[in-house]
Amino acid sequence: MEISRRTLLRGAAGLSGAAMLSGCAGFSGGGSAGGDAGGGGDSLSMVTWASDAEQAAFTRLAQAFQERSGAVVDIRFVPYAEMFTTIDAQLQDGSAPDLFRVDYTSLGSYSSTDQLLDLSDHLDEELTGDLVPAFYEAVKFEGRPYGVPHQTDTTATIYRPDLLREAGITAVPDRLEDAWTWEEFDGILTRLKARLPDDVAPYSYMWQQAGAFRWLNWLFQAGGRLLDEDLTAAAIDSEAGRKALAVTRGLYERGLVPANTSPKSSVYADDAFVGGKTAMGALGNFVLPAVDTAVGSRFDWAVTYHPQDVRAASDLGGNALVATRQARNPELAGEFLRFMMEPENQKSFCEEAIELPTRRSLTESQLDFSVRPDLAPVYAQQATTLTPEDVAQVTVPGFGRINTALQDELEQCFVGGRSVDETITAIAENVNGITGA
Amino acid sequence: MASPAPKKAGAEADMDGLPGPAAPVPAAVPRGVPGPSSRGRGARSLSTTAAGWAFVTPNLLVLALFLFLPLVLTWVVSFQQASPLGTQGWVGPDNYVRLLSDPVFWRVLLNSVVFTVLTVPVSIALGLGLAVLLNASLPGRAFFRTAIYLPIVLSNLVTSLMGLLLFNEGVGVLNDLLRDLGGAGLPWQSDGTLAMISVVVMTIWTRVGFAMVIYLAALQDVPQELYEAARLDGAGAWQQFRHLTLPLLSPSTLFLVVMNVIWSFQIFDVVYVMTGGGPGNATSMLVTYAYEQGFGPARDFGYGATIGVVLFVLTLGLTALQLRSRTGEDRT
Repeated sequence: MEISRRTLLRGAAGLSGAAMLSGCAGFSGGGSAGGDAGGGGDSLSMVTWASDAEQAAFTRLAQAFQERSGAVVDIRFVPYAEMFTTIDAQLQDGSAPDLFRVDYTSLGSYSSTDQLLDLSDHLDEELTGDLVPAFYEAVKFEGRPYGVPHQTDTTATIYRPDLLREAGITAVPDRLEDAWTWEEFDGILTRLKARLPDDVAPYSYMWQQAGAFRWLNWLFQAGGRLLDEDLTAAAIDSEAGRKALAVTRGLYERGLVPANTSPKSSVYADDAFVGGKTAMGALGNFVLPAVDTAVGSRFDWAVTYHPQDVRAASDLGGNALVATRQARNPELAGEFLRFMMEPENQKSFCEEAIELPTRRSLTESQLDFSVRPDLAPVYAQQATTLTPEDVAQVTVPGFGRINTALQDELEQCFVGGRSVDETITAIAENVNGITGA
Repeated sequence: MASPAPKKAGAEADMDGLPGPAAPVPAAVPRGVPGPSSRGRGARSLSTTAAGWAFVTPNLLVLALFLFLPLVLTWVVSFQQASPLGTQGWVGPDNYVRLLSDPVFWRVLLNSVVFTVLTVPVSIALGLGLAVLLNASLPGRAFFRTAIYLPIVLSNLVTSLMGLLLFNEGVGVLNDLLRDLGGAGLPWQSDGTLAMISVVVMTIWTRVGFAMVIYLAALQDVPQELYEAARLDGAGAWQQFRHLTLPLLSPSTLFLVVMNVIWSFQIFDVVYVMTGGGPGNATSMLVTYAYEQGFGPARDFGYGATIGVVLFVLTLGLTALQLRSRTGEDRT
C-alpha cells in the first residue's frame, strides 16, 4: 500500500490549518531559491508552490535569468495549502512579493480586485500572437492581461490494457476524432463491471476536492453551459445540464466508480487507480510521475481520450505567473515573465514537470516528457478541445466560491441521495448568489 | 459553624508543610514602633511581589497577544463581511442570522455533539480500566504502559494517516483482512455512519493513553490503608472500586471530562485527513466547517469567525457547567 505524496501534503495542510485555527498567526514559508528576499532594485521576489520537478525547473530558470540579466530572482516555495492565505495576507499588509503563481480559476479574484500589474505594455505581439487564444483569455480581465499563461494541464483517460482485454475490449481510440461516444463508453463500463472482481470498479474521475470543477467537462461535452454568455447568471438549468448530471450520478448508482471517490472524498481517482481498484481513470498529466512510480512494474497502463457527446471537451488546469501591483520594479518583473514564456524555457519547464505548453508553436511540436513521453501527444491533443467560451466560464472572479458550491452539491447528488432536478436547481441558485444575478 | 481563624503573617508551618493548629502566634507589635523585622518583611514582600510579576508578565503578554487579542478580533470579525481581497464592512448580526438558517451548520453541530458523546466517555472509561489494570503488578507492565501512551507522542498527522491506511475501503488494511477472511469489505468511507465510527475509533486511540496516565498518577496517591479498612469491613473488589477508587479519582475525572470535551469540539486534523468531512457532510465538524468557510476558496472570514464564536461559547458553557456541577458535589 502506498501513501501518496498528495496524502502527505493533505495531512500537512490539515496540520497547518489546525495551527491557523488555533490562533497561532503567521504564515511560514518553505525553502527558497536565489539570493536576497524582498526584491526591488535589480532583484525580484517570487512565491510559488511546486512539485519537486517544478521546483528544480523554477530554480534552474531563475539561475539562467540571473546569468542573462544580472538580476537575482528569490523564489520562495510554500506548500499549496498555505499559498493563497500567504499571498492574501501579504497583499493586504503591503508586503507582497513581486511575482507569484496562481491557477487560472483563482486568477480572477486578484485581477478583479486590482491586485495585479497590468501587463498590456509588457507583452509583445510575438508572445501574445503565439498563445493559444483560450489560455490568453484566461489571464485577461476586462480585456487586459494580468499574467502570462505559464503552463496548462488537463485530464485524459488512463486505462489498464490487461483488464480491458479480459472484458473483451481490444481496441481503444487512438485519434481524438475517434473518441468513444457516451453510449459506447457506457457499454465499455458495463462490460468491465460484469467481468471485474467486486472490489475493482471500471472507472474513476478526478473531481475530488478542489477538482470539483472538472465535472464541467461532462457538461461541456453534452453541449451545456455553466454560465450564460454574459457570464452573469447560471445557465446550467438545461437539458444538457440534466443529462450530464444524470450520467455522472449513474456512475455511483451503478457502482461504475468506487464509492469512496466522491467529490468531497480524501481518496483521489489516481489513488484508486494505482491501488489496482479501477480499470480506467480520468487523470491529469501532472500525476503521471506519481502514477509511474507507484505502479512500477505491477501492471501496464496507457492513455486514451475522454469520451465525447455533442462535442469533445477538456478541463482547464494549469497556472499563470503574475506580477503584483506592488512590484517594486515592474519593468524587471515584466522581463522575467517574458523570459519564462520564451519557447525554449516553456518547453524545458513542461518537459521537466510533465506539463503542457500554452504557446501554439509548442503545442504542435513533440514534447520530450521525462516520464512516459509516449503519453504526451494524447494529453496535448485533449487540451486542444478547450474553447475560449469554456475558459471564460471558469475564470470569472467568483469561480473559487462556485467551485466550492459545485463540490458540495455534486457530493449531495452523487452519494447523498439528492435528485438531479434538485441538484441542478441548487447549483443554479448558488451560482446566481455568487454572481449576483 | 466555626469561622476560620485569620491567617497571621509569619505563621509557622509544621514539618510536613501543613499549618499547625497550635502554631505560636507572634506577639503584636506596638503601633508606630516598627519591630526590627518589620521593614525587612515589607521589603521581602515587595521583592516577592516583583518577582511574581516578573514571572507572570511574559506569559500574560504572550496570552494577551496570541490568545485574548485574536479572541476579541474573532468576535469583531463575526459582525463583518470580511474577505482578504473583497469588500469589507459591518453587517451587524447578518452572519449569525445566516448561521441559524444554514442547514449545513446544524448538521455539523449535530456531528460535533455526536462525536463528543461517543469519544469522551469511551476514552475516559478505557483509560480508567487500563490504568487500574496497569497499576497492578503485571508482567510487561512498562511495555504496555508505553505502547498505550505512544499515540500521544506521535503527531496527529501520523495517526490520521495511519487511520486512512486502516480504513481506506479500497486498499485499507481492515478491508483486506475482511476479504482474506472471506467476507466483503465495509464502506468505511462512503457510508456516513461507518465514516463517523472510523474517525471516532482513531480519536479514542489517540486519547486513551492520556486518560490512562492521568488516572495512573491519581491512583498512586490513593492511600492503601483505605483499601485495607474496606477489606476488613468486608468490601469486595467491585465495592472497593465503586465506593473508594471512583470517588477518590473524581478530580481527575473532572479534569479529563473538561479537556476531552474541549478537544472533541475542536477536532480538526483527524477528520480533515481521514474523511475531509464526507461522505456528504456526515463527518464534517464545527472546526472543519469554519476552516472551509474561512480558509477555503470562499475565504469568507466573517462567516468562519461566526462559527468560531459559536464554538467558543459552546465550549465555555459546557466547561462552566461541568465545573459548576463539581462545585455542587463538593458542597454536598
